Amino acid sequence: MRRGLMAWNKDELPIGTLDERIARLRARMSEAGLDAFVVYTNFVRPSAVSYLTGFTPYWSDGILLVRASGDPVFATALSKRVANWIRTTSPVAEIVNAPRPGAALGARLAADSGVQRVGVLELDALPAGIHDDLVGAAPAVELIDASAQFADIRRGIDRAERDLLLRADALATAALGQVNVAKAGDAGTVAGLVEKRARLDGAEEAQIAVAADFDRDRRMIRATGAVPLADRFALRASVAYKGSWVRRSRTFARDVAGAQAVARADAWFGPVLRSIEAGKPLAAQLAAQVGSLAGAELTRWMAESCVGSYPLQVIAAATVPAGEGPADGAYLVLTVELSVDGVPWIGAAPAIVGGHSETVRATA
Amino acid sequence: MNTATLFFQRKARLIETMSAAGLDVMLVYGNAWQNDYLRYATDFGILEGQALALVRNDGHVTLYLDSLLEVDRAGVDCADVDIVHAPNLVAEVDTALNRFRNQRIGAAPYRLLPRRLAQRAKDLPLSDQTWVLDRLLMVKLESEIAAVRRASQLADDGYAVFRQAARVGRKDYELIAEVEAFYRAKGVEDNFQIIGAGGPDVRGMAPPSGKRLKPGDLVTTELTPCVDGYYAQICRTLAVGTPSAEQKATHALWREAMEAGIAVVRDGVAAADIARAENDVFRRHGLGNYVTSEYTRVRGHGLGLFVDTKPHILEDVATRIDAGMTLIVHPNTYHPVVGYLVLGDMVVVGKDGCEVLTATPRELFSVDA
Repeated sequence: MRRGLMAWNKDELPIGTLDERIARLRARMSEAGLDAFVVYTNFVRPSAVSYLTGFTPYWSDGILLVRASGDPVFATALSKRVANWIRTTSPVAEIVNAPRPGAALGARLAADSGVQRVGVLELDALPAGIHDDLVGAAPAVELIDASAQFADIRRGIDRAERDLLLRADALATAALGQVNVAKAGDAGTVAGLVEKRARLDGAEEAQIAVAADFDRDRRMIRATGAVPLADRFALRASVAYKGSWVRRSRTFARDVAGAQAVARADAWFGPVLRSIEAGKPLAAQLAAQVGSLAGAELTRWMAESCVGSYPLQVIAAATVPAGEGPADGAYLVLTVELSVDGVPWIGAAPAIVGGHSETVRATA
Repeated sequence: MNTATLFFQRKARLIETMSAAGLDVMLVYGNAWQNDYLRYATDFGILEGQALALVRNDGHVTLYLDSLLEVDRAGVDCADVDIVHAPNLVAEVDTALNRFRNQRIGAAPYRLLPRRLAQRAKDLPLSDQTWVLDRLLMVKLESEIAAVRRASQLADDGYAVFRQAARVGRKDYELIAEVEAFYRAKGVEDNFQIIGAGGPDVRGMAPPSGKRLKPGDLVTTELTPCVDGYYAQICRTLAVGTPSAEQKATHALWREAMEAGIAVVRDGVAAADIARAENDVFRRHGLGNYVTSEYTRVRGHGLGLFVDTKPHILEDVATRIDAGMTLIVHPNTYHPVVGYLVLGDMVVVGKDGCEVLTATPRELFSVDA
């Protein structure tokens, strides 16, 4: 769902930027011998279509067709009644409202004799109903998984995306800044305050997770209602602004020893983000960095990025090793869990690899 | 009753139904958009990523999640479910299916099942058994109805917060922000809410767009809080300033339509009967055009583990309405003079009628201009 601000702003996301992204996709299509490209979307898997068109569905699903030339075509089960709304959030693409979007786009593919090989983002995960309708309407077309081609165009971020991410991060940071450690009572009230701040500032969506007793259980859940907060607790704010998602996690401690350990770890984390190097495995980089923080042991970590249809997905983690390190200029969200002098700590923040000036600052 | 107890009751019902249908295993898919099937089978309210669950007829449930963060949450939220982190979700479940090569596997919801898994129907005894869960989702246990009642109370409470928040100059998303903060403090883990604000230019509701409320606006909203996994909805309209005569008259017509629909609801009628009762009111007033799909999606729908479930209340839906269903009856549509209006109340279907859950008065509210 999306319960926050959804609207296209031409200064934030110029049509020229969307045209350039489509052009890069078309270049990859040409290299791979693809005559067309199909991308599925719903509000859980919105980011690929959002990247190409600015559109995120708040409900239902749809598929985008990009051919070698001409306007992209977006077919959705959302009814014609919401066509105007779609247009307010997405300035590009022909919109086709159809109860069976797969059949609608399949018919377009079948009608174009020049289309034989069609790349599909995340083909294995394409919903069976959409797939069967597409294939039923265009049986002669060969569908090929083209997730690698799409990931290629997502390697770097352009200025528009950078600015949207910076805005999302500002919202998340300000939202977590609402927490008054001394007065924070229960998880639900605190989560509500944090979420409210993000939404009042114009977040498209805000999901707040809480570990109410961070010493006892580090897992973050949607703790709502009167769950009491212990002396040490942690919050995670996952915030979207105009289709761009960030995460920020912070640890809070009311006891002196805890507060000191948290402050040290917070101060350590910002430079860690700024120093992430391209091409080197993150596990090794982190191990070296943790070594520089006295009394720290690394518990868990993960790095997420937007490489396909998910807003954020793990690209490397302690339990999911990645081969090479991140690319220069890549966007990622780094989450690190430590034990600092026996005090549990978590931090999460976005970063752009390579120490670019645009790198967001971690909360100290 | 806590959610774990509710889940065990649902699971027992599911296993019994699977056995009756001759199924050894159910393969259930879910994501945050379409969560009800998965929640029924696992009690997990997924938020990020996608999930697949294998439910065996001996009661063993394995939940595969592609999000590390969701694995953490499921470990806390789900009782008696094996949780597997599956970064390559589709491939890993595809492999897991091989263990059931000689067993009857039902899948739900089939249309959303990942293509690669649906294609296993070519070499495995896997078939579309969405109906198994559809039936269970529609006709609820008493304990489930009790959860819907609690959610409906919170829908009323949330709307009161919304009304309080609505003031000239406020942006539409600010109103929703107030409601969400209220809900987190009250233990409501989720809420579906859309909004409309304006006059005849407004054709429907959608997520907020940054509109500021101004005098003369009609502000429509449906909010749908989730309590213990169960959703209930309220639809109401308020006027900014004193409602005009046209706005009042139109709202009165909407109320007549809703009440005509509610009056029909009982065990044994068809969804189409409810829709027809509502729409006939519009037709009698010369507004028959505005009950078509050009202006309105449905005239009501089921609610439970999802915000919008079967049955859809439409004149071409023959689904039998059974006692134990929980529905909203809402003649939401466009009026050519005043714009889009909404009015909707939750009901529980009974043998001889229905119990109305929504307590908020059915009036056209107004806030100072």
